[in-house]
Parts: sequence; C-alpha cells; structure tokens
Amino acid sequence: MSDASALVAVRARSPVWRRLVRVALGVGLLAVALYLPFVLTDRAAFGYRLSNVQLLNLGLSQIDLMLIAMLGALSLNFLTGCAGLISIGHAAFYATGAMTAAIVGSLWGWPFPVALLAAALMGAIAGVLAGLPSLRVRGLYFVLSTLAVHHVVAYIFLQVQVRWFDVSGVPYNPAALGGFALNTPLRWYFFLLAAVALVYWGLRNSLDTREGRAMRAMRDHELAAQASGVDVRVLRLKAFALSSAIASSAGATQAYFMTNISSEAFGLDFAIQFIAMIIIGGLGSLTGSLFGAAIWLLLPSVIAGFAPQGAGAVAALVAAHKPQLVQLIFGLLVIVLLIFAPGGVASLGRRLGALLAPRGPR
Amino acid sequence: MDALFAIEGLSVGYARKGLALENIILAVPRGGVVALLGANGAGKTTLIRAATGLIQFHGGSVAAGVVRFAGEPVHKLSPHARVRLGIAQVPEGRLVFKKLSVEDNLKVGAAILPASLRKDSLDPIYQMFPRLLERRHQAAGWLSGGEQQMLALGRALIGRPKLLLVDELSLGLAPLIVRSIYQQLRGAAESLGTAMLVVEQNARLALEFADHAYVLDRGRMALSGSAAEVAASDAMRASYLGGESA
Amino acid sequence: MLAQVLFSGVALGSLYGLVALGFATVFKATEVFNFAQGMLAVCGAYFASAALSTFDWPFPAAVAFMAAASAGLGVAIYGVLIQPLSGRSMLAVIMVTIALSIVLHSAIEIVFGSQGRTLVTPLPTGVLTWGSLRISELHLTAAAVAWVCMGLFAAFFRFTSLGLLMRATADSHEAALVSGVNVNAMNRLAWAIGSLLAAIGGLFLGQLQIVSTDLESIGLLALPAVVIGGLQSIPGAIVGGVLVGVIEQLAAFYIAPESTEIVIYALLLLILLVRPWGLFGERELGRV
Repeated sequence: MSDASALVAVRARSPVWRRLVRVALGVGLLAVALYLPFVLTDRAAFGYRLSNVQLLNLGLSQIDLMLIAMLGALSLNFLTGCAGLISIGHAAFYATGAMTAAIVGSLWGWPFPVALLAAALMGAIAGVLAGLPSLRVRGLYFVLSTLAVHHVVAYIFLQVQVRWFDVSGVPYNPAALGGFALNTPLRWYFFLLAAVALVYWGLRNSLDTREGRAMRAMRDHELAAQASGVDVRVLRLKAFALSSAIASSAGATQAYFMTNISSEAFGLDFAIQFIAMIIIGGLGSLTGSLFGAAIWLLLPSVIAGFAPQGAGAVAALVAAHKPQLVQLIFGLLVIVLLIFAPGGVASLGRRLGALLAPRGPR
Repeated sequence: MDALFAIEGLSVGYARKGLALENIILAVPRGGVVALLGANGAGKTTLIRAATGLIQFHGGSVAAGVVRFAGEPVHKLSPHARVRLGIAQVPEGRLVFKKLSVEDNLKVGAAILPASLRKDSLDPIYQMFPRLLERRHQAAGWLSGGEQQMLALGRALIGRPKLLLVDELSLGLAPLIVRSIYQQLRGAAESLGTAMLVVEQNARLALEFADHAYVLDRGRMALSGSAAEVAASDAMRASYLGGESA
Repeated sequence: MLAQVLFSGVALGSLYGLVALGFATVFKATEVFNFAQGMLAVCGAYFASAALSTFDWPFPAAVAFMAAASAGLGVAIYGVLIQPLSGRSMLAVIMVTIALSIVLHSAIEIVFGSQGRTLVTPLPTGVLTWGSLRISELHLTAAAVAWVCMGLFAAFFRFTSLGLLMRATADSHEAALVSGVNVNAMNRLAWAIGSLLAAIGGLFLGQLQIVSTDLESIGLLALPAVVIGGLQSIPGAIVGGVLVGVIEQLAAFYIAPESTEIVIYALLLLILLVRPWGLFGERELGRV
C-alpha cells in the first residue's frame, strides 16, 4: 500500500469523520422519528400512498405500545443487565403503576400527571420492597423471590380490580397533560417519544456517574465492588427503586393508553417478554433494549405480512395460529441468540461496526 | 519408542492467559516411576490435566503436540475414555466425593471394571489401606487429609490402571504420613505393574522414590534424566535441595 | 371434611412430588433450574393423548410411547440447549429454559390446537366410600403410581451402579471426570429421568382435569415445592410436593379456590426470607 493511499485510509477513519457519521445518523434518526407518525396516520409518505404491506401492517397505536414497551425494556435492562439483579417479576411493577393510577386517577379523580407521579412513587417503594430479599439471599434464590413477588402483586391487583372496580377490567379516565388532551395516537406518540428519550438519556447518564460505575462493578464482581468502599446493599436497592419507578410509570401510562386494563394483562408472559427483549437486544446495552422492543413489535406484523405471500398451507397455518407462531418464533429467536450470539443485537451491531471501521492501517 | 506414556512437543494454553506449557517432551516407561518437579506455577498441574483430558474443563486447550498412551494418540479422547484405557489419576486436592461413603467412593472407581471383577476389587484396597476399612461407611468429607489422600489413591488404583498420575500428594500432609503413603504406593505399583508419573513440590522426597525425573520451569522443560542425575545436578542442589546434598 | 381435603391434598401432592423429583434430579445433576418442567409435564400428557386418541393405541402401548418420547425429549433438550450453554451465566440458562417453555407451549397449541382434550384411559374413575370419606379411585391410583415411581427411583439411585455414578456426578463434576465417569452420559440420563417423571405426573394431572396447556401452571407448582423442600435434596422434593398439594387443597377449601397460587407463592417468599435452603436442604448458601 503506497504512502499516499495509506494516508487517505487513515484520514477516512479519523475520529472527526466518525463523529460526522454519527451526527448524520442521529439527525437522520430524528427526522424519521418525527416524520414516521404522520406517515403511519396518513398511510402515505411524501405524497406517495403506501400499502399496508409496505407499512408492515403497522398502525401508530402499535408504535405507541412499542414505545411503552421500550420503557419497560430499558428499566429491566438497567436492573438486570447493568446492576446484575435478575428479576423475572418485572410485570409486577407495571401492575403496581396501573393499580396506583387506577386509585389515584379513576377513584380519586386526580389528573393524569398526578397519577403518573404517584405511580412512580409507589413503584419506587414496591421496588425497594422487592429488592429486600437480595439482602438475605442471592443468585437463584433471589430470582425465585422475584417470581414470588410477581404472584403476590398480581393477586393484589386482581383483588383491587374485583373489589373496587369491575371484574372485567379497570377503567381509566382520558389522559390529559394540563390542557393538552392525549386523545389520538399521534399525540400519544410524541408524549411517549419524549418519555423514552428522557428515560434513555437519564439512565445513560446515571450509568456514567460514580454510582453508576459502581453498580456495573457490582454486577461483575461484587466482592471487588465492596472492597472499593461501595455500599453494595444500598446500591442494589437504589437500582431497584429507579428501575421499578420507571416500570411503574410505564404501567400507568399503558393503563391510560388502553383506557381499560385487567389483571391478566400483567401475567408472567408479560414479564418474560421483557426478559426476551433485553436478551435479544443485548444485556447491559440500553440501545440494544430499544432494538429488542422494536423487534418484539415488528415480529407479529412481519409474520402476518408473509401470510398471503406464502403457499396455501403456510398461509392457513399462520392465519389459524398467528399468536402462537409469533410466540414460537420469539422463543426460538431468544434460544438461538443465547447460544450463538450472547451479546444480542448490540454485540452483533458492535461486530458490524468493527468490520466497517477497523482501527489503524492494515 | 518403548514408553508406555509419551508427550511429544506439547504446548498448552489457557484462554486469556497465554501458553502455560511450551514444547514439552516427556516419557514414562512401562512400570517406571517418573517424578515431575518444579516450582509453583511452573505448569505441572497443567501437564497432568493435558494428560488426563481435564484441560478443557479448566478452560484450556492443547495448542500443539501429541499425547501418546501405548503408542496411540489420546489427546483428543474424553477424560472417561482415557480412564478406560488405563490412565488413572489422583488429582491435586484429592477430589473425593464428599457426600458419598468411603466404600461408595471406591465403588465409583471400580465402575470401569467388568461387573464380575468389581466385587473382589475392594479387598486389596482395604488391605493396602486398613484405615479405609475402618471408615468404610463414613462420608468421605469427614475424613482427615491423609485418609482422603488414601481414599483418592485407592479409588484410582482399584481400577487396575496401567498408568497412575499423582498430583501433589504431599500438600497439607505431615511428612511422616507422606513418606508412608509413598512407600505403599511404590509397593502397590510394583505388584500391579503400574507406571507412575508423580508431581511433587517436595523434590527430595520425590527423587527418593522415582527412577527418572523431569524439571519444569515456567512452562518449559529445564532438566531431565535419571533421578540420581537430577538430584546431583547443580540446579537442583541450589534451588530445591538447599546447598550440599545429604 | 378435613380428612377429605387432606386426602386429596396428599394425592395431588404425590403427583407434584413426582414432578418435583424430576426437577430435583436435573438440578442436582446439571445445576439447571428448569423452568420448563411444568411444560414437560404437559408434553407428557399430550404424548399420551396423541397415542390414545390420534393413533388409537392400547393403553400400555400409549404409556410406553409417552415414556420413550418424554425421555427422548429430555435428552434432546440437554444436547441442544443445555450442553451448549454450560459455563454460561445463570440468567442465560434460566432464560433458555423459559424460552423453551414458550416454544413448547406454542408448538403444542399449533399442533394440537388450544382446546383442551380429554384423556380416555382405562384408569379407574369410580369413587370408594370409607366411612364418611369419599375417595376418588383416580386420586388413589395416581398417588399409588406416584409413590411406586418415587420408590423405584430411590431404589435405582441408592442400589444400582448407575445410580451411584449419578450420585457421584451430582456430588462433584470434576471428581466424576477424574474417576472415569462419563459425565455427559450421566447428565443425559438425568434429563431423561426428569422429563419422564414430569410426564407421568402430567398424565395423571391431565386425567384429573383436562389435557391443555393450562396444566403448565399446575406443573409449575413443582418449583415452590422443590424450594420449600430444599433445592439439593431428593427427599426434600418429595416432601415439598406433598406439602404443596396439601396446602393447595386446604387453601382451596378454607379460603377460596383462586387463592391457592397466592398462598403457595406467599409461602415461597416466606421460606426464601426465613429459611432459603428449605426444610431438608443444607445451609451452604452465599454466592450461587
């Protein structure tokens, strides 16, 4: 390789150039995020009509649900991927938020923002309570305690629902931020987008603080973290409080979005879906969790999209058993990723990035 | 090559730690006793693991070279296949089955024998180690260090191995006990015709009982020869035997 | 009526004990907490149902088929999912068994539909009366079979050479490797047994209720059973199972039928906080 081309090669991979690429990507992403809801509502882009298949059978409401799921994935990844606390009871905090919102919003009539705040607070308290067993037991036993907590909370929600509301579901008042009523998917979209961005950057920043780094150290080697003077127990409870507060707010948000929630919505499957999301996305990678939630959203639509195209037998299979097929593929995806790509989408992304921009001359 | 057990050009490494052994050449003749000496971390246990097939279990792999037993390469065989061929070991730390009784421990070792021979296999071991007979129904975890060592030896010998690999027999044991165990071991090996490769930090003791010796230094073979030669060498005298030899 | 409740509690508990025993075997051998054990019980029920209803085989043949199929399933799961993940983090292993239960659940519903099916077997369904007690023959048979299986298993474990090798492997993997035990084969055997025991439990539970994927949550009661009894203890699993069965029936009768799950999981939480190693387990906790 001649000196001149070597120079060019080095310049092409310089940090400035990479910075530029990253900014361009960020701007592009923002543009897409801002234009997307309109595309989905009008079913057209830049004046061109788009078919359902081209839009992957997606409606704006589903994107909204994905955004709420992202909150759950981010909070769970923060707890499990970053702090190393494995919890399979995450649905319990969603339920806590929904419950609190029901009592504060529907029963007592307070407005949406107050209900949201109350949900976050209750979530934090519930999180600390759920984290208490970690002071007593570790590892597998702790995971089992989160399972037990899930069942306890689910039961409480059911009782609240049955006694104070309606057996068929808990109704929620229409949500509004002051004068701005959240009554269309479009309005919800921007509210949720802001929420996800807020949580994402908030968690990202908290991981960069001294406490955040201590938390990661705690995940990797607890004894070492303790030796460095960090109070591991308090840190664990803090991680739980933050993660559960976010999940609880997400649960309240989901309840208001759906306007009616029943306890079945927060079953064990719900919690497992979040674990699947963070594994697919990559444990410990916040960006990965966003991908994981997106894949969770896209999968059913993609499968439904394939149905008419496939052969007769396949189409019939998909039509008759679409939800099971989605679950099946989701489960298989998790298994395949666990065995072959343990870092999830995030690690695949990193590998790809390394491929495209190797360091130094050849 | 007449050797029962031969290592040719073996290099072994652990993930993220690099090579622990480099280009090792070693041979154990039929019925012979070979001592493997060296300081802590020289790679002695790694060598034993490569010989018995437990290297993968500990996160390592064979980078190059061949391990031969009775002329055939065995370094690709699983650990239990090698035991069936006749390679037994007494590992560092003894590794007895703590919750099983002494007798059950021995029976596990006897499991590789054909069923007809299993019943009678216990008596010779109990004769060699009467203490084990006394404690035959006790859980192995409750035995003293010396008794556990005897148990580990018994478990290895009960299967009538052709080659016995002993790793750090003397660790944590009183010298008198160690000497007595070595004497019994030597006797048993002679009567069974078992060859032995003995890893020992206590060089003086090992050289008393061995015919040949090898010395490892930081992953490489530093010295080899008959036990007498090695004992008399300057290097040994200086570092291991401390000044003038006895 | 207490005696009545206790009887059905013990009968059901024996079935839970069987499933829990399979669970404990797998855990002792490979240290895997198999969240799919409930689904394996369901699979057993469906294997039997397929043989009986779809293929129209006589009962003994159907049972043999179910046994072979579930044992094979256990071996396959070990080879495809568990062995490749050996040495990986606990979350990975837990997640793989959870994902497995999802895959099994949806696969069964795709193949068999989500409607429940009834098992048609020659098992007795009558009722015996003994004084003021009405004893369901099915409960009695289920309990009897469960205890016979558990007894056979215990005998196998304690008195056979293979059982000894399995106990040795559970005691220390490394020591077993050193002693010439084919540890992979032992692990496969453990998973085959674990799946088989779950299947037998599932067969009876499916007979007592209806064969559907809802049976999974009943099969999952083996989890708290094993923890309450003691995770590393074989007798603990059995005792835990019987205890869970009795408590379940007591709660259903004296509190409310829907309260059973919460009572058991609240008890699980209590045990985890107060005595995590269970009734029969050993105290060697700490970092797992």
